[in-house]
Amino acid sequence: MSSMLNLSAQQREHGDFADRVFEESGVDVRKCYQCGKCSAGCSVHICGGMDVSPNRIMRMVQLGMEDEVLRTRTIWACVLCSTCTARCPRDIDIARVMDTIRIMAKKRGITEGFNNANVFHDIFMNSIIKYGRVYEAGLFVALKLKQSGTMFADLPIGIPAMISAAFRMPKLPPKMKNSDQVRKVVENCKKIEGEN
Amino acid sequence: MRYAYYPGCSLHSMETSYDRSVKAVCKHLGVELWEIPDWVCCGASSGHSMGHLVGLAIPAKSLVKAEKEGLDVLAPCAACWQRMVWVNHEINSSPEMKDKISRAIEEEINGTSKIFSIIDFLAAFGMDKLAQAVKKPLKGLKVASYYGCYYVKPPKVAHVDDPENPHLMDDMMKALGAEAVDWPFKTECCGASMIFQDVDTTVSMSKKIVEMAYKAGADVIVTACPVCEMNLDMRMEQINKKFKTNYKIPVVYFTELMAYAMGSVPQEIGLDSGHCTDTQLLLAKIS
Ligand code: SF4
Ligand code: SF4
Repeated sequence: MSSMLNLSAQQREHGDFADRVFEESGVDVRKCYQCGKCSAGCSVHICGGMDVSPNRIMRMVQLGMEDEVLRTRTIWACVLCSTCTARCPRDIDIARVMDTIRIMAKKRGITEGFNNANVFHDIFMNSIIKYGRVYEAGLFVALKLKQSGTMFADLPIGIPAMISAAFRMPKLPPKMKNSDQVRKVVENCKKIEGEN
Repeated sequence: MRYAYYPGCSLHSMETSYDRSVKAVCKHLGVELWEIPDWVCCGASSGHSMGHLVGLAIPAKSLVKAEKEGLDVLAPCAACWQRMVWVNHEINSSPEMKDKISRAIEEEINGTSKIFSIIDFLAAFGMDKLAQAVKKPLKGLKVASYYGCYYVKPPKVAHVDDPENPHLMDDMMKALGAEAVDWPFKTECCGASMIFQDVDTTVSMSKKIVEMAYKAGADVIVTACPVCEMNLDMRMEQINKKFKTNYKIPVVYFTELMAYAMGSVPQEIGLDSGHCTDTQLLLAKIS
Protein backbone atom coordinates (compact mmCIF):
# COMPACT_ATOMS: atom_id res chain seq x y z
CA MET A 1 0.00 0.00 0.00
CA SER A 2 1.41 3.41 -0.88
CA SER A 3 1.65 5.80 2.02
CA MET A 4 0.10 8.74 0.14
CA LEU A 5 -3.35 8.69 -1.26
CA ASN A 6 -5.25 11.20 -3.31
CA LEU A 7 -8.66 10.89 -1.70
CA SER A 8 -10.51 12.90 -4.34
CA ALA A 9 -9.17 10.72 -7.14
CA GLN A 10 -9.90 7.64 -5.08
CA GLN A 11 -13.49 8.69 -4.55
CA ARG A 12 -13.93 9.61 -8.19
CA GLU A 13 -12.68 6.27 -9.45
CA HIS A 14 -13.77 3.84 -6.76
CA GLY A 15 -16.41 5.76 -4.81
CA ASP A 16 -18.93 3.05 -5.47
CA PHE A 17 -16.85 0.32 -3.80
CA ALA A 18 -18.83 0.56 -0.54
CA ASP A 19 -22.04 0.33 -2.57
CA ARG A 20 -20.89 -2.80 -4.36
CA VAL A 21 -19.83 -4.37 -1.08
CA PHE A 22 -23.30 -3.52 0.21
CA GLU A 23 -24.97 -5.11 -2.82
CA GLU A 24 -23.00 -8.32 -2.45
CA SER A 25 -23.15 -8.63 1.33
CA GLY A 26 -26.18 -6.65 2.46
CA VAL A 27 -23.88 -4.91 4.96
CA ASP A 28 -23.50 -1.13 4.99
CA VAL A 29 -19.88 -0.39 5.82
CA ARG A 30 -20.58 3.35 5.70
CA LYS A 31 -22.08 3.07 9.19
CA CYS A 32 -18.67 2.29 10.69
CA TYR A 33 -17.39 5.09 12.96
CA GLN A 34 -13.95 3.60 13.56
CA CYS A 35 -14.24 2.77 17.22
CA GLY A 36 -11.80 -0.09 16.73
CA LYS A 37 -13.73 -2.63 18.77
CA CYS A 38 -13.61 -5.18 15.96
CA SER A 39 -9.82 -5.09 15.86
CA ALA A 40 -9.48 -5.10 19.64
CA GLY A 41 -11.20 -8.47 19.85
CA CYS A 42 -9.81 -10.06 16.70
CA SER A 43 -7.57 -12.88 17.79
CA VAL A 44 -6.01 -13.37 14.36
CA HIS A 45 -5.04 -9.71 14.26
CA ILE A 46 -3.71 -9.72 17.84
CA CYS A 47 -1.55 -12.75 17.10
CA GLY A 48 0.00 -11.13 14.05
CA GLY A 49 -1.86 -12.95 11.30
CA MET A 50 -3.12 -9.87 9.45
CA ASP A 51 -1.36 -7.05 7.64
CA VAL A 52 -4.19 -4.53 8.06
CA SER A 53 -6.49 -4.44 11.08
CA PRO A 54 -10.22 -5.13 10.53
CA ASN A 55 -11.31 -1.57 11.39
CA ARG A 56 -8.85 -0.21 8.83
CA ILE A 57 -10.32 -2.51 6.21
CA MET A 58 -13.72 -0.95 6.96
CA ARG A 59 -12.25 2.54 6.56
CA MET A 60 -10.52 1.59 3.33
CA VAL A 61 -13.81 0.31 1.94
CA GLN A 62 -15.45 3.62 2.85
CA LEU A 63 -12.66 5.48 1.06
CA GLY A 64 -12.97 3.35 -2.03
CA MET A 65 -9.50 1.82 -1.73
CA GLU A 66 -10.59 -1.20 -3.68
CA ASP A 67 -7.28 -2.36 -5.15
CA GLU A 68 -5.52 -2.01 -1.83
CA VAL A 69 -8.19 -3.91 0.11
CA LEU A 70 -8.32 -6.74 -2.39
CA ARG A 71 -4.58 -7.16 -2.04
CA THR A 72 -4.47 -7.43 1.74
CA ARG A 73 -3.61 -10.57 3.61
CA THR A 74 -6.38 -9.75 6.08
CA ILE A 75 -9.29 -10.68 3.80
CA TRP A 76 -7.84 -14.20 3.56
CA ALA A 77 -6.59 -14.50 7.12
CA CYS A 78 -10.01 -13.73 8.62
CA VAL A 79 -11.40 -17.04 9.93
CA LEU A 80 -14.98 -15.75 10.17
CA CYS A 81 -15.13 -16.33 13.91
CA SER A 82 -17.59 -13.38 13.96
CA THR A 83 -16.34 -12.02 17.27
CA CYS A 84 -16.14 -8.60 15.62
CA THR A 85 -19.69 -8.93 14.28
CA ALA A 86 -21.06 -9.85 17.68
CA ARG A 87 -19.43 -6.80 19.26
CA CYS A 88 -19.77 -4.01 16.68
CA PRO A 89 -21.78 -1.14 18.22
CA ARG A 90 -22.96 -0.17 14.71
CA ASP A 91 -24.31 -3.62 13.99
CA ILE A 92 -21.97 -4.19 11.06
CA ASP A 93 -21.41 -7.81 10.06
CA ILE A 94 -17.67 -7.41 9.56
CA ALA A 95 -17.12 -11.14 9.04
CA ARG A 96 -19.59 -11.10 6.19
CA VAL A 97 -17.79 -8.16 4.64
CA MET A 98 -14.46 -10.02 4.82
CA ASP A 99 -16.06 -13.05 3.21
CA THR A 100 -17.60 -10.91 0.46
CA ILE A 101 -14.36 -9.10 -0.33
CA ARG A 102 -12.49 -12.39 -0.44
CA ILE A 103 -14.97 -13.70 -2.99
CA MET A 104 -14.52 -10.49 -5.01
CA ALA A 105 -10.74 -10.93 -4.94
CA LYS A 106 -11.00 -14.58 -5.89
CA LYS A 107 -13.30 -13.77 -8.82
CA ARG A 108 -10.76 -11.27 -10.10
CA GLY A 109 -7.92 -13.71 -9.58
CA ILE A 110 -6.22 -11.52 -6.97
CA THR A 111 -4.79 -13.90 -4.42
CA GLU A 112 -1.33 -12.54 -3.75
CA GLY A 113 -2.37 -11.11 -0.36
CA PHE A 114 -2.11 -14.60 1.10
CA ASN A 115 -1.69 -17.18 -1.58
CA ASN A 116 -1.29 -20.07 0.87
CA ALA A 117 -4.86 -19.55 1.96
CA ASN A 118 -6.08 -19.51 -1.61
CA VAL A 119 -4.17 -22.70 -2.38
CA PHE A 120 -5.66 -24.38 0.66
CA HIS A 121 -9.22 -23.47 -0.36
CA ASP A 122 -8.65 -24.68 -3.92
CA ILE A 123 -7.23 -28.02 -2.83
CA PHE A 124 -9.99 -28.47 -0.27
CA MET A 125 -12.68 -27.78 -2.87
CA ASN A 126 -11.05 -30.09 -5.39
CA SER A 127 -11.01 -32.81 -2.79
CA ILE A 128 -14.73 -32.57 -2.04
CA ILE A 129 -15.68 -32.08 -5.68
CA LYS A 130 -13.85 -35.30 -6.44
CA TYR A 131 -14.78 -37.42 -3.43
CA GLY A 132 -17.88 -35.76 -1.96
CA ARG A 133 -16.14 -35.62 1.41
CA VAL A 134 -12.76 -34.45 2.62
CA TYR A 135 -10.02 -36.95 2.03
CA GLU A 136 -7.49 -35.74 4.59
CA ALA A 137 -4.52 -37.87 3.62
CA GLY A 138 -4.81 -36.68 0.02
CA LEU A 139 -5.39 -33.12 1.18
CA PHE A 140 -2.23 -33.07 3.30
CA VAL A 141 -0.04 -34.50 0.56
CA ALA A 142 -1.37 -32.03 -2.02
CA LEU A 143 -0.96 -29.15 0.41
CA LYS A 144 2.57 -30.11 1.28
CA LEU A 145 3.54 -30.27 -2.36
CA LYS A 146 2.00 -26.93 -3.23
CA GLN A 147 2.93 -24.95 -0.18
CA SER A 148 6.31 -26.51 0.56
CA GLY A 149 9.11 -24.17 1.42
CA THR A 150 6.78 -21.58 2.85
CA MET A 151 4.59 -21.85 5.92
CA PHE A 152 4.56 -25.54 5.59
CA ALA A 153 8.19 -25.88 6.40
CA ASP A 154 6.86 -26.41 9.91
CA LEU A 155 4.05 -28.74 9.05
CA PRO A 156 5.63 -31.55 11.07
CA ILE A 157 3.66 -31.15 14.22
CA GLY A 158 5.86 -32.97 16.65
CA ILE A 159 6.46 -36.68 16.54
CA PRO A 160 3.71 -37.97 18.88
CA ALA A 161 1.13 -35.70 17.31
CA MET A 162 2.18 -36.79 13.87
CA ILE A 163 2.01 -40.48 14.72
CA SER A 164 -1.37 -39.96 16.28
CA ALA A 165 -2.60 -37.99 13.26
CA ALA A 166 -1.32 -40.60 10.83
CA PHE A 167 -2.92 -43.30 12.93
CA ARG A 168 -6.26 -41.52 13.04
CA MET A 169 -6.34 -40.51 9.38
CA PRO A 170 -8.03 -42.93 6.99
CA LYS A 171 -5.64 -44.02 4.26
CA LEU A 172 -8.27 -44.42 1.55
CA PRO A 173 -10.64 -41.88 0.04
CA PRO A 174 -14.13 -41.88 1.57
CA LYS A 175 -16.55 -44.36 0.09
CA MET A 176 -19.92 -43.04 -1.05
CA LYS A 177 -22.66 -44.27 -3.31
CA ASN A 178 -22.77 -41.00 -5.18
CA SER A 179 -19.56 -39.03 -4.79
CA ASP A 180 -20.55 -36.71 -7.61
CA GLN A 181 -23.03 -34.61 -5.62
CA VAL A 182 -20.76 -31.69 -4.76
CA ARG A 183 -19.48 -31.40 -8.32
CA LYS A 184 -23.03 -31.04 -9.60
CA VAL A 185 -23.99 -28.50 -6.97
CA VAL A 186 -20.91 -26.39 -7.74
CA GLU A 187 -21.64 -26.53 -11.48
CA ASN A 188 -25.27 -25.55 -10.94
CA CYS A 189 -24.23 -22.62 -8.74
CA LYS A 190 -21.91 -21.35 -11.45
CA LYS A 191 -24.75 -21.51 -13.98
CA ILE A 192 -27.23 -19.75 -11.68
CA GLU A 193 -24.75 -17.01 -10.77
CA GLY A 194 -23.85 -16.57 -14.43
CA GLU A 195 -27.46 -15.61 -15.13
CA ASN A 196 -27.20 -12.46 -13.08
CA MET B 1 -36.91 -39.94 19.73
CA ARG B 2 -35.41 -40.03 16.27
CA TYR B 3 -33.05 -37.49 14.76
CA ALA B 4 -31.15 -37.19 11.50
CA TYR B 5 -27.43 -37.37 12.17
CA TYR B 6 -24.90 -35.37 10.19
CA PRO B 7 -21.44 -36.45 11.37
CA GLY B 8 -19.43 -34.43 8.83
CA CYS B 9 -15.94 -35.24 7.59
CA SER B 10 -13.95 -34.75 10.80
CA LEU B 11 -16.07 -37.12 12.86
CA HIS B 12 -15.83 -39.67 10.13
CA SER B 13 -12.07 -39.58 9.80
CA MET B 14 -9.76 -38.16 12.42
CA GLU B 15 -12.15 -37.30 15.21
CA THR B 16 -13.79 -40.64 15.79
CA SER B 17 -13.77 -40.16 19.56
CA TYR B 18 -16.27 -37.37 19.01
CA ASP B 19 -18.46 -39.55 16.80
CA ARG B 20 -18.30 -42.51 19.14
CA SER B 21 -18.97 -40.50 22.28
CA VAL B 22 -21.93 -38.64 20.74
CA LYS B 23 -23.45 -41.95 19.72
CA ALA B 24 -22.79 -43.42 23.16
CA VAL B 25 -24.46 -40.49 24.94
CA CYS B 26 -27.47 -40.71 22.62
CA LYS B 27 -27.75 -44.40 23.41
CA HIS B 28 -27.64 -43.73 27.15
CA LEU B 29 -30.43 -41.18 26.70
CA GLY B 30 -32.57 -43.29 24.38
CA VAL B 31 -32.10 -41.20 21.24
CA GLU B 32 -32.17 -42.94 17.90
CA LEU B 33 -29.86 -41.48 15.25
CA TRP B 34 -30.53 -41.86 11.53
CA GLU B 35 -27.33 -41.05 9.66
CA ILE B 36 -28.19 -39.00 6.57
CA PRO B 37 -27.52 -41.38 3.70
CA ASP B 38 -24.69 -40.38 1.41
CA TRP B 39 -24.20 -37.00 3.13
CA VAL B 40 -21.56 -34.74 1.63
CA CYS B 41 -19.01 -32.37 3.15
CA CYS B 42 -20.50 -29.05 4.35
CA GLY B 43 -17.95 -27.13 2.29
CA ALA B 44 -16.42 -25.57 5.40
CA SER B 45 -14.68 -22.21 5.02
CA SER B 46 -13.50 -23.11 1.51
CA GLY B 47 -17.07 -23.50 0.22
CA HIS B 48 -18.17 -20.02 1.12
CA SER B 49 -14.88 -18.54 -0.02
CA MET B 50 -15.97 -19.59 -3.50
CA GLY B 51 -19.25 -17.71 -3.33
CA HIS B 52 -22.27 -17.17 -1.07
CA LEU B 53 -24.50 -19.47 -3.08
CA VAL B 54 -22.00 -22.34 -3.23
CA GLY B 55 -21.41 -21.96 0.50
CA LEU B 56 -25.12 -22.46 1.14
CA ALA B 57 -25.97 -25.00 -1.55
CA ILE B 58 -23.34 -27.57 -0.55
CA PRO B 59 -24.63 -28.06 3.03
CA ALA B 60 -28.21 -27.82 1.71
CA LYS B 61 -27.56 -30.95 -0.33
CA SER B 62 -27.35 -33.04 2.84
CA LEU B 63 -29.89 -31.02 4.79
CA VAL B 64 -32.67 -31.58 2.26
CA LYS B 65 -32.45 -35.34 2.80
CA ALA B 66 -33.30 -34.93 6.48
CA GLU B 67 -36.07 -32.50 5.61
CA LYS B 68 -37.66 -35.04 3.28
CA GLU B 69 -37.50 -37.64 6.03
CA GLY B 70 -39.30 -35.15 8.28
CA LEU B 71 -36.53 -35.17 10.85
CA ASP B 72 -34.65 -32.52 12.79
CA VAL B 73 -30.89 -32.66 12.45
CA LEU B 74 -28.14 -33.21 14.97
CA ALA B 75 -24.79 -31.85 13.70
CA PRO B 76 -22.11 -32.17 16.41
CA CYS B 77 -19.32 -30.39 14.51
CA ALA B 78 -19.75 -26.72 15.37
CA ALA B 79 -18.50 -25.65 11.94
CA CYS B 80 -20.85 -27.95 10.00
CA TRP B 81 -23.67 -26.96 12.33
CA GLN B 82 -23.15 -23.29 11.59
CA ARG B 83 -23.03 -23.86 7.83
CA MET B 84 -26.39 -25.63 8.07
CA VAL B 85 -27.95 -23.03 10.34
CA TRP B 86 -26.97 -20.40 7.77
CA VAL B 87 -28.83 -22.33 5.09
CA ASN B 88 -32.07 -22.22 7.08
CA HIS B 89 -31.49 -18.60 8.00
CA GLU B 90 -31.08 -17.54 4.38
CA ILE B 91 -33.97 -19.69 3.13
CA ASN B 92 -36.28 -18.20 5.73
CA SER B 93 -35.25 -14.62 5.08
CA SER B 94 -35.05 -14.60 1.28
CA PRO B 95 -37.46 -16.39 -1.09
CA GLU B 96 -35.03 -15.60 -3.90
CA MET B 97 -32.19 -17.38 -2.12
CA LYS B 98 -34.50 -20.30 -1.32
CA ASP B 99 -35.22 -20.62 -5.01
CA LYS B 100 -31.55 -20.41 -5.99
CA ILE B 101 -30.50 -23.02 -3.43
CA SER B 102 -33.29 -25.35 -4.53
CA ARG B 103 -32.20 -25.05 -8.13
CA ALA B 104 -28.56 -25.64 -7.22
CA ILE B 105 -29.38 -28.88 -5.37
CA GLU B 106 -32.10 -29.85 -7.86
CA GLU B 107 -34.59 -30.39 -5.05
CA GLU B 108 -36.93 -28.10 -3.21
CA ILE B 109 -35.72 -27.13 0.23
CA ASN B 110 -37.98 -25.34 2.72
CA GLY B 111 -35.86 -24.90 5.82
CA THR B 112 -38.26 -26.85 8.00
CA SER B 113 -35.82 -29.16 9.78
CA LYS B 114 -34.44 -27.72 12.99
CA ILE B 115 -30.69 -28.03 13.29
CA PHE B 116 -29.24 -28.80 16.69
CA SER B 117 -25.68 -28.48 17.82
CA ILE B 118 -24.77 -31.16 20.31
CA ILE B 119 -24.64 -28.57 23.10
CA ASP B 120 -28.19 -27.27 22.77
CA PHE B 121 -29.43 -30.75 21.91
CA LEU B 122 -28.18 -32.28 25.14
CA ALA B 123 -28.86 -29.23 27.29
CA ALA B 124 -32.50 -29.40 26.17
CA PHE B 125 -32.89 -32.62 28.14
CA GLY B 126 -32.56 -30.54 31.27
CA MET B 127 -29.77 -30.75 33.83
CA ASP B 128 -31.85 -32.90 36.18
CA LYS B 129 -32.45 -35.51 33.55
CA LEU B 130 -28.76 -35.60 32.59
CA ALA B 131 -27.76 -35.86 36.24
CA GLN B 132 -30.14 -38.79 36.70
CA ALA B 133 -28.40 -40.71 33.92
CA VAL B 134 -24.99 -40.40 35.63
CA LYS B 135 -23.54 -43.63 37.00
CA LYS B 136 -19.98 -42.48 37.65
CA PRO B 137 -19.99 -38.84 38.86
CA LEU B 138 -16.91 -36.84 37.86
CA LYS B 139 -16.23 -35.79 41.44
CA GLY B 140 -13.31 -33.43 42.00
CA LEU B 141 -12.60 -32.92 38.31
CA LYS B 142 -11.98 -29.30 37.32
CA VAL B 143 -13.21 -28.70 33.80
CA ALA B 144 -12.62 -25.68 31.57
CA SER B 145 -15.42 -25.59 29.01
CA TYR B 146 -14.15 -24.16 25.76
CA TYR B 147 -16.94 -23.17 23.36
CA GLY B 148 -14.94 -21.56 20.57
CA CYS B 149 -16.59 -19.22 18.08
CA TYR B 150 -18.85 -21.04 15.68
CA TYR B 151 -21.24 -22.26 18.30
CA VAL B 152 -21.99 -18.80 19.76
CA LYS B 153 -21.28 -16.33 16.97
CA PRO B 154 -22.64 -14.52 15.09
CA PRO B 155 -25.57 -14.19 17.49
CA LYS B 156 -27.90 -13.50 14.55
CA VAL B 157 -27.78 -17.17 13.56
CA ALA B 158 -26.16 -18.91 16.52
CA HIS B 159 -28.45 -17.70 19.26
CA VAL B 160 -28.74 -20.63 21.64
CA ASP B 161 -26.30 -19.48 24.29
CA ASP B 162 -24.80 -16.21 25.47
CA PRO B 163 -22.26 -15.13 22.81
CA GLU B 164 -19.81 -13.64 25.30
CA ASN B 165 -20.32 -15.85 28.33
CA PRO B 166 -21.94 -19.13 27.32
CA HIS B 167 -22.80 -21.52 30.12
CA LEU B 168 -24.63 -24.59 28.80
CA MET B 169 -21.55 -26.80 28.60
CA ASP B 170 -20.52 -25.67 32.10
CA ASP B 171 -24.00 -26.51 33.38
CA MET B 172 -23.74 -29.98 31.86
CA MET B 173 -20.32 -30.57 33.39
CA LYS B 174 -21.80 -29.69 36.78
CA ALA B 175 -24.68 -32.09 36.13
CA LEU B 176 -22.06 -34.81 35.65
CA GLY B 177 -20.65 -34.00 39.08
CA ALA B 178 -17.59 -32.08 37.88
CA GLU B 179 -16.51 -28.60 38.87
CA ALA B 180 -16.78 -25.98 36.12
CA VAL B 181 -13.88 -23.52 36.37
CA ASP B 182 -14.67 -19.93 35.65
CA TRP B 183 -12.33 -18.57 33.02
CA PRO B 184 -12.33 -15.73 30.51
CA PHE B 185 -11.39 -17.45 27.23
CA LYS B 186 -14.46 -19.61 26.67
CA THR B 187 -15.08 -18.16 23.23
CA GLU B 188 -11.64 -16.90 22.21
CA CYS B 189 -10.88 -18.08 18.67
CA CYS B 190 -8.45 -21.02 18.25
CA GLY B 191 -7.41 -20.03 14.73
CA ALA B 192 -9.69 -22.51 12.96
CA SER B 193 -8.59 -23.50 9.46
CA MET B 194 -5.78 -20.94 9.56
CA ILE B 195 -3.74 -23.82 10.88
CA PHE B 196 -3.42 -25.02 7.29
CA GLN B 197 -2.22 -21.64 6.14
CA ASP B 198 -0.24 -19.96 8.89
CA VAL B 199 0.90 -22.28 11.65
CA ASP B 200 2.75 -19.60 13.57
CA THR B 201 -0.25 -17.33 14.10
CA THR B 202 -2.54 -20.24 14.94
CA VAL B 203 -0.19 -21.71 17.52
CA SER B 204 -0.01 -18.29 19.21
CA MET B 205 -3.81 -18.14 19.27
CA SER B 206 -4.13 -21.62 20.73
CA LYS B 207 -1.47 -20.91 23.32
CA LYS B 208 -3.47 -18.04 24.82
CA ILE B 209 -6.36 -20.41 25.42
CA VAL B 210 -4.33 -23.24 26.92
CA GLU B 211 -2.44 -20.82 29.15
CA MET B 212 -5.64 -19.33 30.50
CA ALA B 213 -7.17 -22.73 31.23
CA TYR B 214 -3.97 -23.68 33.01
CA LYS B 215 -4.02 -20.51 35.12
CA ALA B 216 -7.65 -21.18 36.02
CA GLY B 217 -6.53 -24.51 37.47
CA ALA B 218 -8.31 -26.78 34.99
CA ASP B 219 -7.53 -30.53 34.90
CA VAL B 220 -9.00 -30.82 31.44
CA ILE B 221 -10.30 -28.66 28.60
CA VAL B 222 -13.51 -29.86 26.97
CA THR B 223 -14.69 -28.75 23.54
CA ALA B 224 -17.61 -29.33 21.20
CA CYS B 225 -15.78 -28.54 17.97
CA PRO B 226 -13.35 -30.76 16.04
CA VAL B 227 -11.42 -27.74 14.79
CA CYS B 228 -10.91 -26.42 18.33
CA GLU B 229 -9.97 -29.89 19.53
CA MET B 230 -7.37 -30.32 16.82
CA ASN B 231 -5.86 -26.87 17.28
CA LEU B 232 -5.47 -27.33 21.02
CA ASP B 233 -4.84 -31.06 21.33
CA MET B 234 -2.61 -31.64 18.31
CA ARG B 235 -0.67 -28.42 18.79
CA MET B 236 0.08 -28.71 22.52
CA GLU B 237 3.57 -29.99 21.82
CA GLN B 238 4.25 -27.21 19.37
CA ILE B 239 2.95 -24.63 21.83
CA ASN B 240 5.33 -25.94 24.47
CA LYS B 241 8.21 -25.86 22.06
CA LYS B 242 7.57 -22.39 20.74
CA PHE B 243 6.87 -20.77 24.10
CA LYS B 244 9.13 -22.97 26.24
CA THR B 245 6.21 -24.00 28.38
CA ASN B 246 5.21 -27.36 29.76
CA TYR B 247 1.44 -27.55 29.46
CA LYS B 248 0.03 -31.03 29.79
CA ILE B 249 -3.70 -30.37 29.91
CA PRO B 250 -5.68 -33.04 28.08
CA VAL B 251 -8.18 -31.72 25.53
CA VAL B 252 -11.23 -33.92 24.96
CA TYR B 253 -14.80 -33.64 23.73
CA PHE B 254 -17.35 -32.89 26.44
CA THR B 255 -19.38 -35.81 25.15
CA GLU B 256 -16.53 -38.16 26.05
CA LEU B 257 -16.76 -37.14 29.69
CA MET B 258 -20.54 -37.38 29.53
CA ALA B 259 -20.53 -40.83 27.96
CA TYR B 260 -17.99 -41.96 30.53
CA ALA B 261 -20.03 -40.59 33.42
CA MET B 262 -23.11 -42.32 32.03
CA GLY B 263 -21.38 -45.69 32.01
CA SER B 264 -19.29 -46.06 28.82
CA VAL B 265 -15.78 -47.45 29.18
CA PRO B 266 -12.93 -45.24 27.87
CA GLN B 267 -11.90 -47.72 25.16
CA GLU B 268 -15.37 -47.66 23.67
CA ILE B 269 -15.34 -43.91 23.08
CA GLY B 270 -11.64 -43.24 22.43
CA LEU B 271 -11.05 -41.40 25.68
CA ASP B 272 -7.99 -43.58 26.25
CA SER B 273 -6.33 -43.27 22.86
CA GLY B 274 -8.09 -40.75 20.62
CA HIS B 275 -5.97 -37.75 21.57
CA CYS B 276 -2.46 -36.40 21.26
CA THR B 277 -2.45 -35.03 24.79
CA ASP B 278 -2.10 -37.65 27.48
CA THR B 279 -5.44 -38.60 29.00
CA GLN B 280 -4.02 -41.11 31.51
CA LEU B 281 -3.89 -38.65 34.39
CA LEU B 282 -7.43 -37.62 33.62
CA LEU B 283 -8.58 -41.23 33.59
CA ALA B 284 -6.81 -41.89 36.87
CA LYS B 285 -8.57 -38.92 38.39
CA ILE B 286 -12.06 -39.92 37.37
CA SER B 287 -11.87 -43.69 37.82
S1 SF4 C 1 -16.53 -2.32 15.66
FE1 SF4 C 1 -17.93 -1.68 14.00
S2 SF4 C 1 -18.01 0.58 14.18
FE2 SF4 C 1 -16.24 -0.10 15.39
S3 SF4 C 1 -14.50 0.07 13.96
FE3 SF4 C 1 -15.27 -2.04 13.82
S4 SF4 C 1 -16.75 -2.01 12.15
FE4 SF4 C 1 -16.39 0.10 12.74
S1 SF4 D 1 -14.41 -12.65 11.92
FE1 SF4 D 1 -12.41 -12.22 11.02
S2 SF4 D 1 -12.06 -10.03 11.39
FE2 SF4 D 1 -13.73 -10.69 12.74
S3 SF4 D 1 -12.73 -11.18 14.68
FE3 SF4 D 1 -12.89 -13.09 13.52
S4 SF4 D 1 -10.98 -13.27 12.37
FE4 SF4 D 1 -11.14 -11.14 13.10
